[in-house]
Amino acid sequence: MTGYLNDLFSAAALRQKASPIRDLFKVIRQPGMISFAGGMPDPEIFPVEQFYDSAGILSREGRDILQYGMTDGYPPLKEFLISWTRERMGRPVSPEQMLITSGSIQVADLLTLATIDEGDFVITEAPTFLGTTLDMYNHGARFLCVPCDSDGMQVDMIPAQVERTRSEGNKVKYIYTIANFQNPLGCTMSLKRRKKLVEIAQKYNLVILEDDPYGYVRFEGDPMPSLYSLDDKGIVLYAGSFSKILAPGTRVGWCVGNADLIRKMTVFKQGVDTSTSIVSQAIVYEYCRKGYLDEFLPKIIAHYRKKRNGMEASLQAYLPKGEANYNKPSGGFFYWLNTPAIKTDDLFDKAIEKKVAFVKGEPFFPNGGGEHEFRMCYTFASPEQTEEGIKRLGEAMKELL
Amino acid sequence: MSKVWESNFSFIANNVRPSPIREMLAVIKQPGMISFAGGMPAPEVFPVDKFYEGAHILKDDGANLLQYGTTEGYPPLKEFLAQWTSPRMGRVASQEEMLITTGSQQALDLFSWCLLDKGDSVITENPTYLAALTTFYNHGANFIGIPMDGDGMQVDLIPEALERAKREGRKVKFIYTIVNFQNPAGATMSVERRKKLVEISHRYNIPVFEDDPYGYVRYDGEHLPSLFSFDDQGGILYAGSFSKILSPGTRIGWVTGNKEIIRKMTVFKQTTDLCSSTVTQALVAEYCKNGYLEGHLPVIIDNYRIKRDAMEESFKRHLAPRGVTWVKPEGGFFYWLHFPTVKSDDLFKKAIEKKVAFVIGDPFCVKEGDGCHHARLCYTFPSPEIIEEGVKRIAEAMDELAITATA
Repeated sequence: MTGYLNDLFSAAALRQKASPIRDLFKVIRQPGMISFAGGMPDPEIFPVEQFYDSAGILSREGRDILQYGMTDGYPPLKEFLISWTRERMGRPVSPEQMLITSGSIQVADLLTLATIDEGDFVITEAPTFLGTTLDMYNHGARFLCVPCDSDGMQVDMIPAQVERTRSEGNKVKYIYTIANFQNPLGCTMSLKRRKKLVEIAQKYNLVILEDDPYGYVRFEGDPMPSLYSLDDKGIVLYAGSFSKILAPGTRVGWCVGNADLIRKMTVFKQGVDTSTSIVSQAIVYEYCRKGYLDEFLPKIIAHYRKKRNGMEASLQAYLPKGEANYNKPSGGFFYWLNTPAIKTDDLFDKAIEKKVAFVKGEPFFPNGGGEHEFRMCYTFASPEQTEEGIKRLGEAMKELL
Repeated sequence: MSKVWESNFSFIANNVRPSPIREMLAVIKQPGMISFAGGMPAPEVFPVDKFYEGAHILKDDGANLLQYGTTEGYPPLKEFLAQWTSPRMGRVASQEEMLITTGSQQALDLFSWCLLDKGDSVITENPTYLAALTTFYNHGANFIGIPMDGDGMQVDLIPEALERAKREGRKVKFIYTIVNFQNPAGATMSVERRKKLVEISHRYNIPVFEDDPYGYVRYDGEHLPSLFSFDDQGGILYAGSFSKILSPGTRIGWVTGNKEIIRKMTVFKQTTDLCSSTVTQALVAEYCKNGYLEGHLPVIIDNYRIKRDAMEESFKRHLAPRGVTWVKPEGGFFYWLHFPTVKSDDLFKKAIEKKVAFVIGDPFCVKEGDGCHHARLCYTFPSPEIIEEGVKRIAEAMDELAITATA
């Protein structure tokens, strides 16, 4: 390496932190490893035949699809999404209010570009999805963390934090929340809190990023109104994704929000990647148009419900009684465990020895914490692996107690 | 505009500049408009059937391709590229030296993440690719422009520019260059200058971003060695793209460079888009492995050579007599015209009236006014007949402006 590069790196490059989940991939791929780490869909439930069938659009519309496309997205896909998400959005959305992104993680990147100057604050749940908070961190954001309970983010704690931070001369820009089946907690924000959160944001002149990758993967109960639908001032940016309802390998997500903001984000996207793969967008569109999305979603949900039940049963059967706390999620991908008597660092090392992997809690806390907590994904492993993996985890815990 | 957004926008959001080319799409789509504006491939050269042929991979390996992929890129595609690009790179790059990106545009963004703090300077050709300027600008950079001639960037001027920047307290982070068939100037850097530029990079400890989207689209003469191939110190980052040799709709590009910088860029990619569409990467890889990249490239080159020649002839017929000058490109997509007698802004307005579009020169330049007598014309998209008609309309627009000026 040319040593001089070190003198040229940007502040962001010098402080950059790799995603611990991405870096876990190497560990996960060890032979015999059972992984509850990555938030990965079950490859068994991928609609491979239907997706392949949808690729026929490349033959019919190839000349259009292989060309440069609009930065804001493949128009037919936008049209489909506008109508498909109508109920959740609560009111009609125009194409100018929607942007197709390269995965929903890009929504956070573009919003952060559009709002955060070095040192500005973002309000997040703690713990929360580390991929997006790492991006915010790379942009120089600082964090105000709000704890959650089984009703989601404890939004009543926001005003005092905002007032204090602002009184110290700092800027607080937006609130980041995963209202449905939160990653990593699995909890869902109650309707009362949703209304309250929108009220607080409006009062304090804050905007909200409502990240909703799991919202359509609900096992029980009725869907809750989105924050977007509860807001009448255009302050909520809603982010959706095909990663969990179709396939993450497509890297297609979307967002809906105020047209002026969408416009700013689109201009940033011109410089970031010009557009999302039109090839990918077109196949996804064709898959949706043919009705496969609606046909398959119930199968995906049923499949994951069964897996969630499997993990629940194994957690109850194999973990030492009273040594692990968790809530049963009613949707999404994750369990969040707390082991008051065991440090997660120790548990992780012991678990890897026994060939079972999870994600440690610490990186989910932007301002630190989580020493006794960790995340388990139940969607990826087979039922047999889940049982065996949790058996191993239980043994690891017993050895450490 | 909703107040709450206005008060929450960042400094760059308040100063962001939309791409004039992307913004022109609406104008271009007017009926009857002849467009030389966007750098768009001709749809008739898209290998639609050959590309679709690879789609069986989505069935054969669907469970793997629909899953999250590694951020570094789809391994079979990287392996193909390491071999295929080796003549140009001077050796077979290792997997750790390569990263697949969402178009080479993303390579610019990730590289900027690694090197640019607000207020840093970048040395570029003047004029240069405007979306590169936009990306660097969005990362807080300012620019030092180096003029070009028929042999590309006048690299001899760089040391002086660096010394001056140092005196002024500016921190120059890297040199950005498009060595082959430069966008927009069309010029190609001579071998002698390439060697010289690598030498300068070593002497002044300054990395170079070698952007090469057009390098494989050469109509005449021999391919020249890349800057990367002259470098033994890891200071050159080479960026390639499938946009001009296969399809821009795939949004697949790649970079080759020092392992450490590739790693840093990979970590930024983890949080910006996680990985490039695995589905698309696999389709591109199948196309390549089937031998179509190599096999189809001559079709593309022949198609564009005919159009380049047609534009050259039309220019000689209609624009040379009116004092317009240019460098004939040996490859790539663009002519860069100099109109000594008219401002390209005025010409643009008149041309749009006459239903012909191009891109005015100024946005390609690092300083306002540097390109006010220049324009970029892309010849790859329209047919030779349309090219002739469009150039004729530009000549008419020039004449009408001359009449207005004297009247």
